[in-house]
Amino acid sequence: MSDLTIVLRSLRARLFSTTVVVLLVAVSAGLLLAILSLRSAGERAFERGTGNAHLLVSRDGSPLVSVLNGLFYANSPKAPIDRAKLNELRESFPWAMFVPTAIGDSYRSFPVVATAPEFFSKFEPVLGEPWQFADGRAFDKNFEVVLGSSVARETGLRMGAKLVLTHGSGKSREGAGDEADEHSHVHKEYEFTVVGILKPTGSPHDRALFSDLESSWMLHAHDRFERSGKEKLVTAADLVDDDRNVTGVLLRLPSREGSNTPPALVSQYDKLRRDGSITVAIPSNEVQRLFSIVKSIDVLFLAMAGATLLSSGVAILLSMVNSMSERRRQVAILRVLGASQARIFWLVLTESTIVGLVGATVGIAVCATVLFAATAWLLNAHGIVIAPELDARSAVLVAMGTTLLAAIAGIVPSVLAYRTSVARNLRPIG
Amino acid sequence: MSSPSSHALEITRLHFRYQGRGPNDPGFELQLPSLTLARGEEMLLIGRSGCGKSTLLQLIAGLVDPNSGTVHVGGQDIHALKGAARDRFRGRTVGMVFQTFNLLQGFSAMENVLVALLMSDVPKAQWADRAQSLLRSLGIERLDARAEELSVGQQQRVAVARALACRPTLVLADEPTASLDPENAVNAVRVLRDACREQGAALLVVSHDPSLEAHFARKERLDELMKRRAAHDSTREGASA
Repeated sequence: MSDLTIVLRSLRARLFSTTVVVLLVAVSAGLLLAILSLRSAGERAFERGTGNAHLLVSRDGSPLVSVLNGLFYANSPKAPIDRAKLNELRESFPWAMFVPTAIGDSYRSFPVVATAPEFFSKFEPVLGEPWQFADGRAFDKNFEVVLGSSVARETGLRMGAKLVLTHGSGKSREGAGDEADEHSHVHKEYEFTVVGILKPTGSPHDRALFSDLESSWMLHAHDRFERSGKEKLVTAADLVDDDRNVTGVLLRLPSREGSNTPPALVSQYDKLRRDGSITVAIPSNEVQRLFSIVKSIDVLFLAMAGATLLSSGVAILLSMVNSMSERRRQVAILRVLGASQARIFWLVLTESTIVGLVGATVGIAVCATVLFAATAWLLNAHGIVIAPELDARSAVLVAMGTTLLAAIAGIVPSVLAYRTSVARNLRPIG
Repeated sequence: MSSPSSHALEITRLHFRYQGRGPNDPGFELQLPSLTLARGEEMLLIGRSGCGKSTLLQLIAGLVDPNSGTVHVGGQDIHALKGAARDRFRGRTVGMVFQTFNLLQGFSAMENVLVALLMSDVPKAQWADRAQSLLRSLGIERLDARAEELSVGQQQRVAVARALACRPTLVLADEPTASLDPENAVNAVRVLRDACREQGAALLVVSHDPSLEAHFARKERLDELMKRRAAHDSTREGASA
């Protein structure tokens, strides 16, 4: 027998209301923790997509749009970088990685990224995590295509499968030219062969296809010939400099081993920015900027979770105040048996604190389980890597905050218990 | 400070006025020139309903403060103690048995007795043995049965065990037979008296039931005690005139 036994018996005596309030606190604490975890997980998921590129050069309207188009495939970049500018960029600095990309074609709404072989050897889709092939290899000749993991899963394409691409990123489907929107058409003349399927990376690249630049240039050269009324199956020999455009360049500067902060990054960034014909972005900075823009919504979510938590505190208060009529007699009995007013105060306060602590613990446990299950489901079903980390600090803070709130909610019923008249409450009932 | 005393209870010139709260609760006045109870003594205090019997017990237990006068329990002026000190003293020295027993609902028979020991200075190692032996000596075998699962008679025995758990100097019983039929009432009084005698505790029972008079060697009527006060006052007034 201890004071804790008295508290637990009191909670058990009101099992239904105790359970309801504990669940309410658990939902509130779990919700708050989930929002905190998912907030950082979302940011991390975006950061994953930037890979190991220090800089991204394009001709998009702004650095943020450049990153959203060039790395997250939000839209097709509109303005190309011509061959002369590409060569000028290549020669401007001893880049550790120089990977041109051309984005504009699609397959069943999945973007097709035409790029150089270095895309697989030097670019890492996630910093420190190079590409891994689930099957096959990278392209090494024209009209070979590599599938991102989500593309392979959602289209059912296997190794050796043949496919044709759509010019533009419209909603057209292969072989369904009538459904193509006015800006897109299907390149039925050129058939691509699947030579590789990538393992999931948890980045937007999982939802893309990758082919070589020359094949892409040939598709567009074919369009050029068509416009001039010449029906011709274009080969590499037919390409002119105007065909050899790209929409972006992924750049990496030399850096010390184990460091991702090259000493020359700022100077090169400033130097490139002075060139008004191109847009230069530091992808990781743009992701942070994006999150600073959406932070106000973030705060709104947090405020909602906080309000829910507060309402659970009010629920504790109401539940305990409502139980005062039955509690008063118990208090009076304990006082007769020798319990001091202060001891009664602490007993009731402990009760509300325990409700908060148990609620927070249940909430954190449920939140961890649900997030773990959701993470596994998202990865298995959609190839999305949302890795909400239930960091110990957030969990402890939520638990402490919830418990403190419950304790504060318990002050009013504790004071009521403290002031309970012993004489009046020992009278026979009825 | 507590001083050695041969009395379990010693009341001197106790005056308490209850103002009442309106026409339906006119209030009353309680005046006792003196009342003593020796250690181990038993006494029945008879009074009609509403005359202040329960209030007198609350005054003795230090749950209510008098307007004037003193109440010594085991030699200690209980009202001279304040706050937690008085609560501790009450828990240690005074056991109380109520008409409705006031057992803690949701607690087992054993736990109801242990709660009393929790508030005492009895070493924890002795709690279980003391509670068990008390309950068993009073005929309670289902120690883990919850209070609400026990019969009325069993509840009354648990209440007696709880009142005696801390080996009090004085046990106060407020209408202990009011909820019982005549046969059980006789048993209840016997149990209460036997248990107090065994533990060496003085027993003060207040009741409006005259049938209990047969069981007590010493019995008083509260209104007569009050009249003695009135007579005492008029004698003093006559002498001074």
